[in-house]
Amino acid sequence: MQQGRDNDGSQAAAGRIREVPSIDGPLDADPVSGIIAEGVSRSFGSVHAVEHMDFHAPAGKVTALIGPNGAGKTTLLLMLASLLAPDSGTITVDGLNPATQRAEVRRRVGWMPDTLGVWESLTAREILTQMGRFYRLPKHGIPDRVADLLGLVRLVDLADQPARVLSRGQQQRLSLARALIHDPSVLLLDEPASGLDPGSRVELRIMLRELAEAGKAIVVSSHVLSELDEIADGAVFVNQGRTVNKQTVEEATARGRRYAISAVDTESLSGKLTELGLAFRIENGRRPAVSLMLMNDGDAARLLREVVLAEVPVLSFAPASGALEETYMTLEVEQR
Amino acid sequence: MSQTISGSQNTSTGMNAAAYAAGIRDVIVLELKQRLRSRGWYIMLGIWFLLTALVTWLTWASWNASQAYRTQGPDFGYVAGPTGPGSMIFEVVLAFVLLFALLVAPALSANAINGDRSGGTLAILQVTLLTPGQILWGKFFAAWLAALAFLVTSTPFLIFGVVQGGLTPGHVIVSLLMLTVEVGIVCAVGVGISALTARPLFSIVTTYLAVAALVFGTVISFGLGTGLTQGTVMANQPNYPNSSPLVPEGPSAPPAYTCSGPLQEQRVPRTERVAWLLAMNPYVVVADAIPYPVRTGGDVFSGTGTLEGISQLARHAVAGPEGSYTCANGEPQDPYLSQTTPMWPLGLGLQLIVAGLLIWLGWRSLLTPARKLARGTRIA
Repeated sequence: MQQGRDNDGSQAAAGRIREVPSIDGPLDADPVSGIIAEGVSRSFGSVHAVEHMDFHAPAGKVTALIGPNGAGKTTLLLMLASLLAPDSGTITVDGLNPATQRAEVRRRVGWMPDTLGVWESLTAREILTQMGRFYRLPKHGIPDRVADLLGLVRLVDLADQPARVLSRGQQQRLSLARALIHDPSVLLLDEPASGLDPGSRVELRIMLRELAEAGKAIVVSSHVLSELDEIADGAVFVNQGRTVNKQTVEEATARGRRYAISAVDTESLSGKLTELGLAFRIENGRRPAVSLMLMNDGDAARLLREVVLAEVPVLSFAPASGALEETYMTLEVEQR
Repeated sequence: MSQTISGSQNTSTGMNAAAYAAGIRDVIVLELKQRLRSRGWYIMLGIWFLLTALVTWLTWASWNASQAYRTQGPDFGYVAGPTGPGSMIFEVVLAFVLLFALLVAPALSANAINGDRSGGTLAILQVTLLTPGQILWGKFFAAWLAALAFLVTSTPFLIFGVVQGGLTPGHVIVSLLMLTVEVGIVCAVGVGISALTARPLFSIVTTYLAVAALVFGTVISFGLGTGLTQGTVMANQPNYPNSSPLVPEGPSAPPAYTCSGPLQEQRVPRTERVAWLLAMNPYVVVADAIPYPVRTGGDVFSGTGTLEGISQLARHAVAGPEGSYTCANGEPQDPYLSQTTPMWPLGLGLQLIVAGLLIWLGWRSLLTPARKLARGTRIA
């Protein structure tokens, strides 16, 4: 169904080949703070889960870790959380080495696993209290800290229920509170939005932005890319255990974005687009529409004006996908 | 967000003993809270109590019945032992409690680590400031405490056995102490194995096999091993002065013979070379540790309890032919080996080495950042 060729291919190829160094500016504000992985590799038997991966999550920013299933995201997060040792390469957390300064690193890192892993017979309050003790927080401060976190993740009403009665989304929020109990400076979140209802997603988004503004380095791995557009300052794309691209969301947006346009009369729309000399393709969704790449918001506004003035009966004109999703899809295409 | 926890951010990298113990205690609290809230544990405890009660009652009833039969039947001049039913009830209950403790302990301990691993909660602990040692010891003590609840439940029956007969409170204390230690060893084996294997089912079965190896395997391998230890001992001929060898071979009869004649090589199994296998048997350890009265010539027949018999057999095996073969080295042998040389420390020591080795291997598998993972395991 592809009628025109757009520039996806060349862009993606460039992204793939360009391994690491593309961005130095906004992401590398302070070289020591935050979490840095350089040339990290890890294999399990013959499976190379992570191969020579570079990653930097600076303090005060939300960094998205994006990639298909099995790309090595969780393995990388386990290494960043100092649970798994890399076969080669170095990891530093606020300039500290997890292998030799274990306790110091752990005081600074909060980790939320993708498997929920709650102690089901304990209540939310007990779980957080226990975690406070495992992090050796001062005993007298723990009850207040726990109460604050329960409020933050909206579990006050369910605080004294056993965790097994919590829904998946509630357990997810409890898991987030657990990762925050010791006020870490680096927060590693593995799929934090999965299982959350839309309201909780918005809250998570706001919460993560606040935490980043408080100076924490936040790493979020997720598939829900449209969410990440709103949260993330930068993104690291990984595939097959390698860092394939790094970019800020601004850059992702600057690379152009796919817009979907639908009209009462698709014929006249495609006629107008052809007349303007634009490459587009016809989408066979539930409602007939065309989509095309536009480089920036200005282009989009001009095009909308053009088609409306040409009396094409436009029904909708909107970005077809998030900026990060656009990059992600080009990677996916490359993968095949 | 960032409030009031700066107190914990002190930069002491070293950890003193009190902080280490506090971490272990926190893990124990976490574990026990979970165990105490599971209904299965209470059901098992209830079944245990009923079974122990049943066995105690059956033993008591059967002893009463046999006593009634003896007093009614013709008198063969056979004298009932002076110990009453106490020794018997005590021994049966003790053997039973040990058996079931050995059966319960693996179930309570052998999924401690890999159960958490598959539930995704182990990594939650590992990512905190807890060290692998604290996690492992916490899990071990929690499993041990849970198993000890079963021993506490059976204490009334052991006391009943003691009250019924001529035994001292010391018997109860020593036997409970030894049961506690044996249960602890099985728990340590279970926790160690559970840290080393991926699947709870596999580790539970493996721990049961380890228990079977201790209870039956030691006896079997001792028996088979004896055949491989053929040796010789120098001995001469015994002379029974009253020429009635049917009379007492029982414990502590004074040597009823003299030795004379030239020393000759006799082919015998040198059991002392494989006796350490037998010593590892939990029943031997418990039986050997429990004190029994020093035998005098008078009560040679009837006073011997089962535990005492086990203990004596094992001590003969340890002594080997030099200490037990008739007229070895031309010396009459005391058929009763006194308790001055206990052998249970040997068996217990060997058990502790095995358990310690498994715990150490388990500790290594919990080290983070992890270098090696068991095949097929996901760390998180």
